[in-house]
Amino acid sequence: MSDTTLDRPRKTVAGAERAAFRATQVTKRFGGTLALDQIELEAEQGKIHALVGENGAGKSTFLGVLAGRVVPSEGEVEIFGQPHVFGSPREARRLGIGAIYQELTIVPRLSAVANVFLGQPYAKRGLLSERRMREEFLELRDRFDVSIDPDTPAGALSTADQQMLEIMRGARSGAELLLFDEPTTSLAPPEREGLFQVMEQLREQGTTMVFVSHNLEEVLHIADTITVFRDGKLSATGPRTEWTKASMVRSMVGHEVTEYRRVERAAPAPGTPPLLNAKGVTLPGACEAISLELKAGEILGIGGLVGAGRSSLLRSIAGVEPMSRGELFVEGRQVPWPRRPRHAIKHGIAFVPEDRKSQGLVLGMRAADNIVMSNMGEVMRGGVLSERKIAATSREIAAEFGYSADRVGTTVRNLSGGNQQKVLLGKARFCNPRVLMVDEPTRGIDIGAKDEIMGTLRKLADEGVGIIVVSSDLEEVIQISNRILVMAHGHLVDELDQSAGPVAVSDILNSAFGVEKNAS
Amino acid sequence: MQAKASSPQSTGSGGLRQYLNRDLVLQYGVVWAFCLLLVFGVIAYPGLFALRNVQNILSQSAPLGIVSVAMTFVLISRGFDLSVASIFALGAVIFANRADPFGLWGAALTVIVVTFICGAINGFIVTKLNVNPFVATLGTGSVFGGAAFLYSNSAPQVPDHFDFIILGTGRFLGWPISIWLLLVIFLVGAFVLSRTVYGRSLYALGGNEEAARLSGIRVDLIRGSTYALTGVCSGLGGMILASRLGVGQADMGGSLALDAIAVVVIGGTSLLGGEGAIWRTAIGLLIIATLTNVFDSLAINTNVQQVVKGFIVIAAVALDIYARRIRA
Repeated sequence: MSDTTLDRPRKTVAGAERAAFRATQVTKRFGGTLALDQIELEAEQGKIHALVGENGAGKSTFLGVLAGRVVPSEGEVEIFGQPHVFGSPREARRLGIGAIYQELTIVPRLSAVANVFLGQPYAKRGLLSERRMREEFLELRDRFDVSIDPDTPAGALSTADQQMLEIMRGARSGAELLLFDEPTTSLAPPEREGLFQVMEQLREQGTTMVFVSHNLEEVLHIADTITVFRDGKLSATGPRTEWTKASMVRSMVGHEVTEYRRVERAAPAPGTPPLLNAKGVTLPGACEAISLELKAGEILGIGGLVGAGRSSLLRSIAGVEPMSRGELFVEGRQVPWPRRPRHAIKHGIAFVPEDRKSQGLVLGMRAADNIVMSNMGEVMRGGVLSERKIAATSREIAAEFGYSADRVGTTVRNLSGGNQQKVLLGKARFCNPRVLMVDEPTRGIDIGAKDEIMGTLRKLADEGVGIIVVSSDLEEVIQISNRILVMAHGHLVDELDQSAGPVAVSDILNSAFGVEKNAS
Repeated sequence: MQAKASSPQSTGSGGLRQYLNRDLVLQYGVVWAFCLLLVFGVIAYPGLFALRNVQNILSQSAPLGIVSVAMTFVLISRGFDLSVASIFALGAVIFANRADPFGLWGAALTVIVVTFICGAINGFIVTKLNVNPFVATLGTGSVFGGAAFLYSNSAPQVPDHFDFIILGTGRFLGWPISIWLLLVIFLVGAFVLSRTVYGRSLYALGGNEEAARLSGIRVDLIRGSTYALTGVCSGLGGMILASRLGVGQADMGGSLALDAIAVVVIGGTSLLGGEGAIWRTAIGLLIIATLTNVFDSLAINTNVQQVVKGFIVIAAVALDIYARRIRA
């Protein structure tokens, strides 16, 4: 399993046994970050290959490279012995690649048949040959043993059926290498089973498949080989029989590191009454009956994988999701469930959304205006906005987050990501929240800004603010939190207390992946 | 951050170098364009700066100017209002028709209430029914315009009331009342946009609606209110024109919606929302009014004027998009 190439039995006859793909020294940089670091991997034809790893480990980027959608910074990829052409979906199709992404690419108003033949219909002299397409659709349908009505608009079909259309499209275009990006996340168990059956059928017909998954059980169930990514590097690869859930998690985390640079934290005194108490928080399709408790001065981390419902939980409590429901108690008193962000703010709950550009900041405004936006009543004098007050208060807040007070007059658009994030946190801070919920506090910002932000959050907690942090960077969650809740598939699956000592990333992953506590 | 910032976009902190940078040239380009127009204008038409001519220009553009102020609010919040011409006409016919039975103040109050309701309907359709503002106001424009014709039986409404023409032709301290009204509305508009929570919220919601909502701003209420504002301002504009002509007619709106949008975007307020200022609308109005005045004095065919103005609007918007791109 430490071997980095897959086992290829009949290697000797040149050309007779080409690999489905062969990646050599593939490296991908996004700005300063290394998303893929010299990946060497090849895959045997006619097999199902699974790619697993933590959030941001590089598995999806690698799948993108295979699909030709992501152009590697360095390195080469061969598809069935031919050099890969990047950046052109048409070329990729010619090489025999079909890709099925999480965001499905069906056209909702077109019929099921039309979707399967999208982009490559049968036509005679420019006229579509409906009959031929329908016949072939029915054939495909029998082959995959599904029952999709050919004339139903694709938008009216279930997600599973829509995905099936995409697979049919891939199969029909003669794709010999099918790529799936987390194909099962939106599927119910029976639909998953159906998908696996189709995958097995395709395998019997000689199709090679590569899929990215967060579900280790299904990986063990369906894949022939499993490759683990870690921090943009290939951690290990090997046939399924050599893997267990626990060994996969170990491989994702690497050598167990317990020495985190921890931010000093003072645990709230035992017996402190809860500051925030949310019960049965439910957002249909995203999170299910989650209850949590937060004490003043406590930082609560929420761990889990992308799509586990962590953001939805925060957004529900912040009043951003009108469809959510639950019960909310602030300092022991029940308050009506917030249906608008305004209501949550009124109860002292501030929320920092994950996407600072699209949800957090008004990019065309000055930093100062953004900071005071959540509480403009504070900076008025005689019923009129006072420039002097805006300047003074925003400078104060900026300094608190390590943002240069002299730059509060700068238009936010012109700031670096780290400074934008500080402004965004300053804005949430400015409405004097009792509870501060932060979604991805440090995504895409440099290490210095990250440290400053983490330090400020800790300081706010020490001043008595209750803080909830969601981050895909699990080390960061461990670093800052007093307590960590682990979510998976919209459910709360574990609670890890750090008062005795730091937990390990593998503890969180084990919970998230559902590894039995004593199995590893 | 200097206190004299006229809009939330200005970056403050002085220094001569700042005034020479590309951003500022682009930002204040419209002012230079206006100065240039004045120079060429006075060469082509020496009477341009005569007091009488200036008063004439301003009082003629008062109805359009008042509507443009409200339109600035709508565009900054990333909205759009095509129904102003119809509300304008409705205001004109109601004012003329009701002047006799209700008296001038009664008629004016009626117009303000009715046009407010028209605008509030627009606001409701846009914010609560989530209809695209372009389509929503195109539709309501047809409804209100039709209502103006029905109400007036397609006939000119000529009131007998002796003072009916006072709003459009009367004078106060030697200057026409309509100019005073225009000035007051510009000043109040500028103040509200730049110095109040409401104004700042408009910029926020035009710049990034989601961010504004998450900040606890009542985005629907504020967005809706801008349409009520265009409604009332259109009604007021309609009253001024009806009063000046001594008659209210259901076809008085003409191309007002497009003219008002043209005034605002020529000034440099973006159609993409979140940016803009009332002083820009003032410059836009002066540019259009001066151009019309000079063309008229040279006896240039109005059809030619139409063509020229069309080009100017397109150039202004293209320049705005270009400026945004090079700034990004």
